[in-house]
Amino acid sequence: MERSREYEDLAVALAEVRPAPREDFAAELDQLVAAGFPRKTRLGRLRAIVVRFHGLSLQRRLVASGAAALTAIAIATVVVSNTGSDPAPIAFEQHATKQSSEPGGVQYSEALPQVAGSAMESSAANGSAGALQESAEALKGYSTSPSTSLLSRATHRDIERSAEIGLLADPADVADDSAKVFSAVHDARGIVLRSTTTAGRNAGAHFDLLIPSARLGDALAAFSAIDEVRTRHEATTDITKPTVATGEELQDSRARIDSLLAQLSTAEIESERDAIEAELRGERRRAARLRSQVARLHQRADFSRVSLRIETGTSATSAGGAWGVDDALGDAGRILGIAAGVTVIGLAILSPLALLGLLAWLAYRLWLRTRRERALDA
Amino acid sequence: MTDQGPARSKGVSETLVAAATDAPRDADLAFDELYLSSRDDVYAYAAGLLRDRAAAEDVTATAFERAYRKRSRFDPSRGNGRAWLFGIARNAALDELRRRGRQAELVSDPVDATSPDTERSEQRLILVAGLAKLDPRERELIALKFFSGLANTEIAAVLGVSESNAGTKLHRAVTKLREVCDGAF
Repeated sequence: MERSREYEDLAVALAEVRPAPREDFAAELDQLVAAGFPRKTRLGRLRAIVVRFHGLSLQRRLVASGAAALTAIAIATVVVSNTGSDPAPIAFEQHATKQSSEPGGVQYSEALPQVAGSAMESSAANGSAGALQESAEALKGYSTSPSTSLLSRATHRDIERSAEIGLLADPADVADDSAKVFSAVHDARGIVLRSTTTAGRNAGAHFDLLIPSARLGDALAAFSAIDEVRTRHEATTDITKPTVATGEELQDSRARIDSLLAQLSTAEIESERDAIEAELRGERRRAARLRSQVARLHQRADFSRVSLRIETGTSATSAGGAWGVDDALGDAGRILGIAAGVTVIGLAILSPLALLGLLAWLAYRLWLRTRRERALDA
Repeated sequence: MTDQGPARSKGVSETLVAAATDAPRDADLAFDELYLSSRDDVYAYAAGLLRDRAAAEDVTATAFERAYRKRSRFDPSRGNGRAWLFGIARNAALDELRRRGRQAELVSDPVDATSPDTERSEQRLILVAGLAKLDPRERELIALKFFSGLANTEIAAVLGVSESNAGTKLHRAVTKLREVCDGAF
């Protein structure tokens, strides 16, 4: 009882020393409350938006966040769609692998620059062509200068080159592109072995070309500049060994012919002359066949086969028809695919960041709470 | 009590507590009601803890501004409005303590020396001196209970402890206050 009365006395005494706010301060605070604590700076407005967002209910916050995310995805989709000239990913194959299918051919690989029509590629092509020319000259000198030909064999290679290039064009541009191909072939002093051009909805063109190897690089660069390069493939084959071997056989054959002619001039018996002449005819046929082989090998080294295709993408608006439901569905599917891709990438990027942010926020809250409690112990 | 702190505004003499819009929301009405019922209590708590009149005013204003900004997040069904408000005020007060890193001068108004009840005046002086001897945690409990009039349940909610724990802490604080008051109570 006594203890309770003492407690009451203490409570009364504490109430008497209870701090009270100044009237001015109370009035000022009343006014601030009535005005809704007006903000003073732009930063304050931004903070107001943040606080207002925090003040929303969970459902409204989710709706607002979802709307913001959808807007971001839409913007990213538009940006991604407009960045590429063709939304559909095009497999751009551009590599060169030197290989040999010739028996006894030297097989090796060499990476070429992967820039269409680049100066490096042009330079490499020119260097290769120079080697071919020197090799041809060496072959021509087999009959008169074996030592020179051997030196040439040691220092020069005979390289057969071929290339395939695919261009992607709008159907309306196929004819124009085909004309550019002819022009480029003419500029390269090449030969059009065969050409096929198709107009209409399934427009396209195909060319089989022979391009001087010395100008192959420039020609490929010119082809690549005609339209969008879809695929490009180059191959080289070292035909030095068969060329040299055939040249040596030709050299032997000529020597044999010379020998037979010498024997024929000294032969006195009719039957002996007939036998030598028969052998001479056979040897001349063999020499002619070998010359033909050497010429073909020279042609393979001097001229490169190029297969050029002009294709039209299915997504492009057809030249003869209007944009239809199929096109719309295709476009819609593609846009949805891009949107899904953007969403996945965005989630892949944002999820770890959001997790880190959440952990950082929790850590900050914990740190702040600890610091506040420590303030009481100071 | 006398006004010893710096003047914070001029030409404001009337109380203006009104909703900002013609059709105030429930949150606004609830906040206004909470403000009217708790303004002096929040100030008393902050002043009792900080023992600095100017700092107490800053903390009180900050607490009500924060509460105003967050008023729509408060769910009355999940807790007591006063406990929620004093939780905000406590954070603001602790932030102020952290900033200062020290305690300021005594906040209590001087006891009227001309009071005819000299014994009572002496008791008040002893009490004020005793409050100054308490550590901040004990003084906070005394302020919450006797200056602001919070129930033990509300104190527990503000401090984030159980009600029984809050009661125990409060009992210890009162006991210590009596001890430092040399048996005056």
